[in-house]
Amino acid sequence: MRWSRVIPLLVIVLGGCRGVEHRRENGPPTISFLVLAGEREVWNEICQEFSSRHPGTRVSIVEGPNSTDLRESIYSASLLANDVSLDLVYMDVTWTSKFAGAGWLLPLDADFPESVQLQLVKAAVDAGRYRGHLFRIPVRTDTGVLYYRKDLLASAGIQPPRTFHDLEDAARTLQRPPELWGFLWQGSQYEGLVCFFLEVLSGFGGFWIDPDTLQVGLDRPEALGALQFLKSCRSGREAISPPGVTAFKEDESRRMFQDGRAVFLRNWPYVWRLAQETGSPVAGRIGVVPMVHAPGKRPAGTLGGWGFGVSRFSRHPEIAKKFIHFAISGDGQRILCGKTGYAPALLSAYKDPELLRANPFLSELERLQELAIARPVVPRYALVSDVLQRALSSALSGLKDPGPALSRAARETRLILRGENP
Amino acid sequence: MKRGLRERIILLLPATILTAVVVVVPLTRVVYLSFTRVDASDGLRIQWAGAEPYFRSWQDGRFLSSLTNTVLFSGASVSLELLLGTSFALLLNRRFRARSFVRAAVLLPWALPTAVMGLGWAWIFNDQFGVANDLLMKARLIPTPIAWLAEPGPALVAITIADVWKTTPFVTLVVLAGLQGIPAEVLEAAEIDGAGPFQRFRLIVLPLLVPSLLVAALFRGIQAFSAFDIVYVMTGGGPGGSTETLSLYSFQNYFRYLDFGYGSTIAVQGALLLLLAASVVKLMTRRWEGG
Repeated sequence: MRWSRVIPLLVIVLGGCRGVEHRRENGPPTISFLVLAGEREVWNEICQEFSSRHPGTRVSIVEGPNSTDLRESIYSASLLANDVSLDLVYMDVTWTSKFAGAGWLLPLDADFPESVQLQLVKAAVDAGRYRGHLFRIPVRTDTGVLYYRKDLLASAGIQPPRTFHDLEDAARTLQRPPELWGFLWQGSQYEGLVCFFLEVLSGFGGFWIDPDTLQVGLDRPEALGALQFLKSCRSGREAISPPGVTAFKEDESRRMFQDGRAVFLRNWPYVWRLAQETGSPVAGRIGVVPMVHAPGKRPAGTLGGWGFGVSRFSRHPEIAKKFIHFAISGDGQRILCGKTGYAPALLSAYKDPELLRANPFLSELERLQELAIARPVVPRYALVSDVLQRALSSALSGLKDPGPALSRAARETRLILRGENP
Repeated sequence: MKRGLRERIILLLPATILTAVVVVVPLTRVVYLSFTRVDASDGLRIQWAGAEPYFRSWQDGRFLSSLTNTVLFSGASVSLELLLGTSFALLLNRRFRARSFVRAAVLLPWALPTAVMGLGWAWIFNDQFGVANDLLMKARLIPTPIAWLAEPGPALVAITIADVWKTTPFVTLVVLAGLQGIPAEVLEAAEIDGAGPFQRFRLIVLPLLVPSLLVAALFRGIQAFSAFDIVYVMTGGGPGGSTETLSLYSFQNYFRYLDFGYGSTIAVQGALLLLLAASVVKLMTRRWEGG
């Protein structure tokens, strides 16, 4: 064996690897994070503005898939491998317990003290706390709302609905299926179904998991009422939702509503701007109200939104934190929300004249935001949510009856919250 | 002699090391993890749990239903593929104009990335805009649109159809190769003896094709049993978990729940079942060749 030849070869190969490593270290310190492809442009602008204010630093953006679950998996795989290449984690509101629990994030309490936290939407900040520490800073918030066709309701002399009954009545009066359906929502077996169900559940006066006592409310009568309402939407001769609604996610429902094929739509604020664009068949014909509720109960919208955590493996955590500070500043929020129509996390941005000019919907959003309810920040949230998703989906598709499906989900959820396996 | 042995060892070493690094080490780790319990609420902690995760899985309704789904899906798709693949291969084995073009064209679905074609099929089966419902309604086969991906039964059917469309070409290819191995003299002799086309197929072609069919079934079976991408893209396991496969459930445990222990328990049992099925096929092949 000619080791004398092999060894120099090995040295060259391994040396080459070191060289690449070195070059990265020698350039300006760079931080990076993964966003969905559709948001790349607006984040690029924010990153450039940040770099021009902090010379000698760079922020690079990695383009990811549009599916939230896929991006969560990419971040998980990267952090599992203690990878240093992603410094910031651009997180959905429900990722906190998983990422913080696994020990992948740095606590941010010291760098974002109460004085900073008070400037942001409170519910969104609270969703970033895990076991007493702050791990996620919100940069934009979201809340579920009910869109309606202003023109159709007005021509029939119907007021925007407030209760479940109002909604059903209006939908039945105005719909002409299959061309025009009454009510669209997200019924596919995924997180979006949980978001919508939570709003209905809350409208019936019920709850999923009490964050303080960890009580589970899925086998109470309110939960059964909520699920039966969902089921009644798409069954029988009086159905107000198309049978396929149980395979819909946000965008399928948005497209159908925007094509003018539905009277009501439950969705997130992003729909507003798309539906008002020139060329949209429903431009200027839509209105927004909070989700409907039972008489005497409060309306509610599920809190969504995105924020930043700092990876424990980051080589430049200080720059990463500075970047978050910039993203939640007035200037950062103006770029992020002016371009996209997203709801800001910064409270003062709702009064910003420039933003209000770009998006008149903002003042309404501020009001709707006050009705936001958070999903529980519990360990193993994904498992807890999957248990509910399966229960809802199997009841909606007729695999199981609502009652047994919910009591089983309640039993399994209690086991999971106690740290046992379902 | 001694020098020969040393040389052999040296020559085998790279392959051995490579296999060890990419197969043996991860495999051992997965088997080890399948006997552990993972707690991800305060850092990732892995504890030895003995056979407990296995007992857990046998009482886990979701594991059992994903196993059933996997078996149903692989059984249905592989048998349909064998049937269609053999028919196509018989057609393509005849002489006709532009045969090589058609042979290449038939392979097209197989060359597409599964995720991309899965998305395409999800649109085809969309209840509002989908082509499937449109065609069926125009042909007056159904009175109202079917919500394919929203109902448990139709969802599994839709996924099976998509999978059959994609992987029938593979079976066609394998069977076509088998057909070309059948000597023309044997068929000619049978024809002279007065055997009709059906007799020739049943008594000569089919028996000689059995080894190819078994190979195709084995390869396709392994692939279908570990189906992930097509289900992930088309239904995500829904509605109500009615299309969740073992791989998908295992993946959810790994990446969504960070439960590597239980994810591995599922993966190991899936692999064991496959091994069992493969051994049965292998035994059948040997008996066939022996007899």
